[in-house]
Amino acid sequence: MASTAISPGVTYRSSRLLWLRDSINWLYVLPALFFFCMYMLYPIIEVVVISFTDYKYLSNEPMRFIGLTNFINALQDPVVHLGLWRALYFTLIFLPGVIFIPLFVAILIDRVSNPSLASLYRIILLIPAVIPGPMIFVLWRWMYDFEVGPINTILVNYLHLFTYRNAPQWLGNSPLTIPAIAFVEWWWGLGYHTMFFLAGLAAIPRELFEAARVDGANEWQMFWNVTLPRLRPIFVILVVLRFGTAMAVIDEYIIMGGFNRALPTYTWTVYMWHLAFNIGNWFQGYAAAIGWIGAAAMLIVVGFLFYVFRDRD
Amino acid sequence: MSVSAKSIRSAQAIATYPGRKQGLRLSAVALHATLIFFCLVIILPLLWVVLMSVKPVTDAYSGKLLPSQFDFTHYGYALQRLPYIWRNFGNSIIVTFSTVLLTSACAVLAAYAIVHLRLPGKLLLVSLLVGTLYFPTRLVSIIGIFRIQASLGLINTLPGLILPYVTLNLALSILVMKGIFEQISPEILDAARIDGASSWRILWMVMLPLIANGLVVLLIINFVTAWGEFLLAYTLTNDQAMRTLPVALATAMGGFGEWVWPALAAVYVMAIAPGITAFAVAQRWYMKGLQEGALKF
Repeated sequence: MASTAISPGVTYRSSRLLWLRDSINWLYVLPALFFFCMYMLYPIIEVVVISFTDYKYLSNEPMRFIGLTNFINALQDPVVHLGLWRALYFTLIFLPGVIFIPLFVAILIDRVSNPSLASLYRIILLIPAVIPGPMIFVLWRWMYDFEVGPINTILVNYLHLFTYRNAPQWLGNSPLTIPAIAFVEWWWGLGYHTMFFLAGLAAIPRELFEAARVDGANEWQMFWNVTLPRLRPIFVILVVLRFGTAMAVIDEYIIMGGFNRALPTYTWTVYMWHLAFNIGNWFQGYAAAIGWIGAAAMLIVVGFLFYVFRDRD
Repeated sequence: MSVSAKSIRSAQAIATYPGRKQGLRLSAVALHATLIFFCLVIILPLLWVVLMSVKPVTDAYSGKLLPSQFDFTHYGYALQRLPYIWRNFGNSIIVTFSTVLLTSACAVLAAYAIVHLRLPGKLLLVSLLVGTLYFPTRLVSIIGIFRIQASLGLINTLPGLILPYVTLNLALSILVMKGIFEQISPEILDAARIDGASSWRILWMVMLPLIANGLVVLLIINFVTAWGEFLLAYTLTNDQAMRTLPVALATAMGGFGEWVWPALAAVYVMAIAPGITAFAVAQRWYMKGLQEGALKF
């Protein structure tokens, strides 16, 4: 009787001691936490605060709290609307190519029986993954260049399909711009995403295929009924993750398009940066509100995608 | 023995189905042809920029893809004549080296604690990290980061770039390392603990050799991000002498003044060569690291 009365207190004390002792382990997380709080959490909170003010960086006037005015203005701003549509258009072109082409290539590499040849293919495809994104965009800005770019050089001088007067304009104020930039992303992500799918394919037990073959399934049926369901988790992560990043890209637009509002590369991200660091007195309060609206639009779609791809079983 | 028996059997199988043999060969040809096509798509743009850097200037502007003769002087010209190019290279090297070191160290420490130590609030931490992957943190936080760096007087300085750079890949790095640490059985840890090793010693003596391949993946991922970072460098520096290579290259208007195309291409080749060389040297460990769990999070 006495022991039962004491024991809860003892476990309480010892569990608290254990908790204290285990908390020492947070020392390992401390360096990461410092950077995380200082340069991610704190700036984001600050951006929340200034999005409710009329803060302008270059203005000497003190900032005033103006409530939701920035958000209301931004939601009615035609440039914001256009910018969100442009970003969505890019994302919709970008996504299929960045998912299905690597899936296709991964299935092909998975069938290469010679191991050294298979790893040679992997290494070549992975080369763009070790070139930083902005460097890739610089390279492709030159590739698409109207005069020295090799694409038009081949079309004009080697294939004689066009002359310099009617050769396609890949970047700038042209309907080809967004598909051209999406292609660059496919090129860049091909090897890396192929690796994701190859890891998924390697995890499928071979017996499943043999069992399906015994049951008389052909290659196509095996792909639909065995391979694809098994790749589903990778699929979902890639679609959702890449959707998020694609809606909010900015480097490629600045490098390949600059700050010309008429160009299809002037999306909500470029508009935000332009307002915050270039236009007028640097309208950072308003820009912060635009940033939040873009992020919210993105999160809504990410949530929707998670809902669509949720586990139904 | 078994190999020869297998090959005999398959040879018999092929012999009995002559039509199937031809079909197999055709599909193998199609398979390799398709893969070679994709490899060419990857390699040709890079080959173009390398060829551009060794072309005589007249070839560069006359629409010839292959150089009529090789001219390697552009590399010397770029390094000697282009304004600030040494500074830009130096800035990139310092910033990248510091960022890779700091990020990787933070990630290894944090991931070790998450996977192998008791950590109250672990779940919250991990879900916070995963959450940042689905949120455009870099974009939303940039105004705040600019304000912090401005108030600390760090605009146009290298520490002003390094500090925010560490967070760029921090969440991803911790998750990658978490995947790698999870491949290590906790029994190894228990055994070392029974021998009286502290958690710190276990990390250094036991864990580090085991995560070497994963560390290669981590270093390469962080190198690539830091070496090529554009947006923050573009925002936090406006002095040409303090800028990093990607900003210098992205803002250089090719073909005008000193920036003749072959010289620009030469700078470009020098800028991407370190990454590709490091990858070529380390690809064996990189591939192993990817298979050991760097892709599982």
